[in-house]
Amino acid sequence: MAKPLGIAVNPASGKDIRRLVARASVFDNQEKRAIVRRALVGAVEAGVREVCYVPDSHGIARSALEEFEGKLHAEAVASPQTSSVIDTVGGARALAERDCGAVLTLGGDGTNRAFCIGWQDAPLLPISTGTNNVFPILVEATLGGAAAGLVASGHLKLSEAADRAKAITVKVEGERDDFALIDAVVTRERFVGSRALLAGDMLKAALLTRADPASAGMTSIGGLIKPVSEEDDYGLYLELDPQADGVNAPIAPGLYQIIGVAAHRRVAFGKPITVTGPCVLAFDGERERALKPGQKATLRIARDGPWVIDVSRAMRLAAERGLFRIKRARKARRKAS
Amino acid sequence: MAAPAIGSMTFRYAFRGSFTDTHDCFGYARHPVRPDHPKSPEIGGDKPVTIQATDAVLLDIHERMVRIRIFEEEAGKLMENGKVPGALHLYVGQEAVAAGVMAHLEDSDHITSTHRGHGHVVAKGGQFNEMYAELYGKAAGYCKGRGGSMHICNMEIGMLGANGIVGGGIPIAMGAAFSKKFRKTKEVAASFFGDGASNEGSFHEAANMAALYKLPLILVCENNGFGEYTRQDNHQAIVDVADRAAGYGMPGVVVDGMDAIAVYEAAGEAVARARNGEGPTLLECKTYRFYDHVGVRGMGLSYRTDEEVDAWKQRDPIKLIEEKLIEQGIITKRKISAIHKRIREEAMAAIKFAEDSPLPDPDGLLEDVYYVQA
Amino acid sequence: MAEAQLKDDQAPRKLAYVNAITEGIAEAMREESQAFLAGEDVAGAGSVFGYTGGLLEEFGADRVIDTPISEKGIMGLGVGAAATGCRPIIDLMFMDFLGECMDEVANQMAKMRYMFGGHARLPVTVLTMSGAGMSLAAQHSQSLEVWLTHLPGLKVVAPATPYDAKGLIISACRDDNPVFVLLNKLSLALQGEVPEGAYEVPIGKANVMREGKNLTLIAYSRMVHEAMQAADQLKEFGIDAEVIDLRSLSPLDTDTIIESVKKTHRAVIVHEAVRFSGFGGELAAQIQELAFDYLDAPVGRVGAPFSPVPYSPSLEQSYMPNAKRIVAETRRLLGV
Repeated sequence: MAKPLGIAVNPASGKDIRRLVARASVFDNQEKRAIVRRALVGAVEAGVREVCYVPDSHGIARSALEEFEGKLHAEAVASPQTSSVIDTVGGARALAERDCGAVLTLGGDGTNRAFCIGWQDAPLLPISTGTNNVFPILVEATLGGAAAGLVASGHLKLSEAADRAKAITVKVEGERDDFALIDAVVTRERFVGSRALLAGDMLKAALLTRADPASAGMTSIGGLIKPVSEEDDYGLYLELDPQADGVNAPIAPGLYQIIGVAAHRRVAFGKPITVTGPCVLAFDGERERALKPGQKATLRIARDGPWVIDVSRAMRLAAERGLFRIKRARKARRKAS
Repeated sequence: MAAPAIGSMTFRYAFRGSFTDTHDCFGYARHPVRPDHPKSPEIGGDKPVTIQATDAVLLDIHERMVRIRIFEEEAGKLMENGKVPGALHLYVGQEAVAAGVMAHLEDSDHITSTHRGHGHVVAKGGQFNEMYAELYGKAAGYCKGRGGSMHICNMEIGMLGANGIVGGGIPIAMGAAFSKKFRKTKEVAASFFGDGASNEGSFHEAANMAALYKLPLILVCENNGFGEYTRQDNHQAIVDVADRAAGYGMPGVVVDGMDAIAVYEAAGEAVARARNGEGPTLLECKTYRFYDHVGVRGMGLSYRTDEEVDAWKQRDPIKLIEEKLIEQGIITKRKISAIHKRIREEAMAAIKFAEDSPLPDPDGLLEDVYYVQA
Repeated sequence: MAEAQLKDDQAPRKLAYVNAITEGIAEAMREESQAFLAGEDVAGAGSVFGYTGGLLEEFGADRVIDTPISEKGIMGLGVGAAATGCRPIIDLMFMDFLGECMDEVANQMAKMRYMFGGHARLPVTVLTMSGAGMSLAAQHSQSLEVWLTHLPGLKVVAPATPYDAKGLIISACRDDNPVFVLLNKLSLALQGEVPEGAYEVPIGKANVMREGKNLTLIAYSRMVHEAMQAADQLKEFGIDAEVIDLRSLSPLDTDTIIESVKKTHRAVIVHEAVRFSGFGGELAAQIQELAFDYLDAPVGRVGAPFSPVPYSPSLEQSYMPNAKRIVAETRRLLGV
């Protein structure tokens, strides 16, 4: 059954202080627009006829859709327009209500985290345009759009082309819940400030869904000690201490730091980990929440994150089923020769 | 020299974390860590990490912000009551930017400012007496009554003047940055300007030259969403002025301009880059002008909705930092009230000083057109 | 041989205007470590007019700086660096490019000291090339001195001779105010006496090039030489002309002008700039204000017609004022 394809673009991704400290790349919005255009080309070829998009403050999705007038029915979903993370959360909820069959997200780990706060089991095709990109994938947008399009248009079932991701759910005493896809980190810093998590000597603990030595970010700290993949049905907990022995890890793009690791252990799904303030909690690389003295937060890992479409698996299935094969009428072929 | 083999042994070596302060896990010498950097940890690379604001710094930033707010509120009243001549462009709403950047600067570092420049002077250390006296056009003013609100300056604290020309200060700051590099100092220059000024040729020429010569310059774009009365989406096709940095070969960063701590952290990196000879940075601070382009009216304006103003006022930069300081137990509500009261009294005393001080002697009209050798 | 050598040493040294400019810059930079030269093509290329040749070799790339083609930026560089302890020498390749940086010149450089209540000092020197005569057409040939003389806060000088070019550049660089030195491109090859070493030609002091009894020709820049030729030709009409080279337009040496006019009772002003609204209007007004009772004839003005500078040599020749036109205008005024 054909469903709309969702699009959520974070106009603010790839622009924060990490450009300075971590030599991260600048992602300008013209390029994001170009990525959406190319993804839409793939999606149209894969059979998508209806697109729902989150209207972003920079008009990226809207302007990218302009050239598809007549080919696509495009609809802006209602979402808050605050030029903040709230837009992504609200937009995700709206796309969920429209029952999108697949959603293209453009951003980094932070963007996808925000999206999943609004729609936790969303069928995602996350294209990386962020700073830290452990969760989203580096993929040519044309094919990303085609893979997402095959799922949205009903040519492929979500369950055959996608896997459910792990996630960390966070209960904060007396306040709203929170969520992380890759890592939740406890730091001795006191303020959310410029958000970026770059002060290695301030880190106290980290809970990782993935510990990937081949990625940049907090995930690399665990990855260089005890790799945990997305397929493993458990997470990794690290006790961090600047005095302890540790690893020289790329905690952000372009930035290696020595992180003291006092202890590490596997964490089973559902096992609660409690954190007490004062501290700042960082999720997926960005400082997000400040806990007051004595305030508690409980973190749990489970495989209850979004569905993530696997582009190569989707395209292989498309090939096996001949979804892009074209048969020409024999008469026409003879005429041509 | 052949690199040491990367094998299981070296990996274990790294894993045990037994490499030394001076050498990494492969036996290569580490880059020295800058000893003067606040809380610089032992790091693998050569980059400083995010600057952590200490309690003293946070209180200093807060004080600067409150000083700006109160100076401007009282200046606005003076203008409304016809006490001061001319037009005042008030900085209320944007305090986090000036305070967050200036907390990193010394008197020997220079800044250029805009027509909305009082906040920069106050944050750089300008005194209320001389500032109000200048607004009154008095001889005791910083410019001896010759400049007024839009040219207020203080060379002794490195304040190269507010500027009546949009974008006018940017090439001057670039020149000051050039001078700092030429004289082989560790000083930096910062230029404050708005989203509107980023459309002026002066911005583009100065940005290009600053990047070309790797000058110690911080281009601080205070994007308050309006070029005078024109909304940003009516004056440029981009939303993030920081996107323009790439075109000049310098880093561009977007930061929440209502959050002084965020500005402080980002500016700290930009200033450190400049002092280290790594060149200029374009730092875009998203902020908002609570008042009109000129004067104190904030609501009921034809070019923006009251709802928009209200939404931004929810994130009043002074309210934000005070909440955080109280939450962290750095200061009490009572002490904050006392700070406001003390600064308000200082402002009132300065206004009295300005009112009581004499006007410039009309016979001295031609003084200061030229420098005359003594 | 030895005798010839001796003779050479004793003869005053002759130098072309272009080399005198170079020497002026070099002397200023030798005596002041905070001085640097910045402008388009001043380093590697030695300037399009050749007058910064050799400076890069002597002073190095830190002090002789090629800039992008960004006149706002270059002029801002001069203002900002001067305000913070340097003594920049800025090369604005053609005066016509003032249009690209007039804000930095008019609103920043000229006014900063005053606006700041005297708290800023701007020791910046701007060298720029003016004048027609090389078929460079309307955007590379203008004489726009009044754009600058109208601005309080600036000093404006316009050397006519190699001697003055070097001396005025040195004076400009030693001055703690912004000074524009208006050079003339048709004079670059002009030879003249130029002493070695540093010397000043005072800013604000005119030079009486030739004394006379019954006419004062007032000129500056290259027109001084046309005025000198005209004075020669006027002799046959019984006119003994005094020629004043203003050298400095702002500040203006009014005393020398008025003293001369009081003696000769007649004045003709010559400049290459467009006559209408030109600097001659200011001079004529001052003469009638200060020496009205001494005048035996209306004050004459010779300048370019109210037209952009043309390209074709024939048109350009008819555009530019010259000795012939000065003679004609003088005879018309004096009825001889």
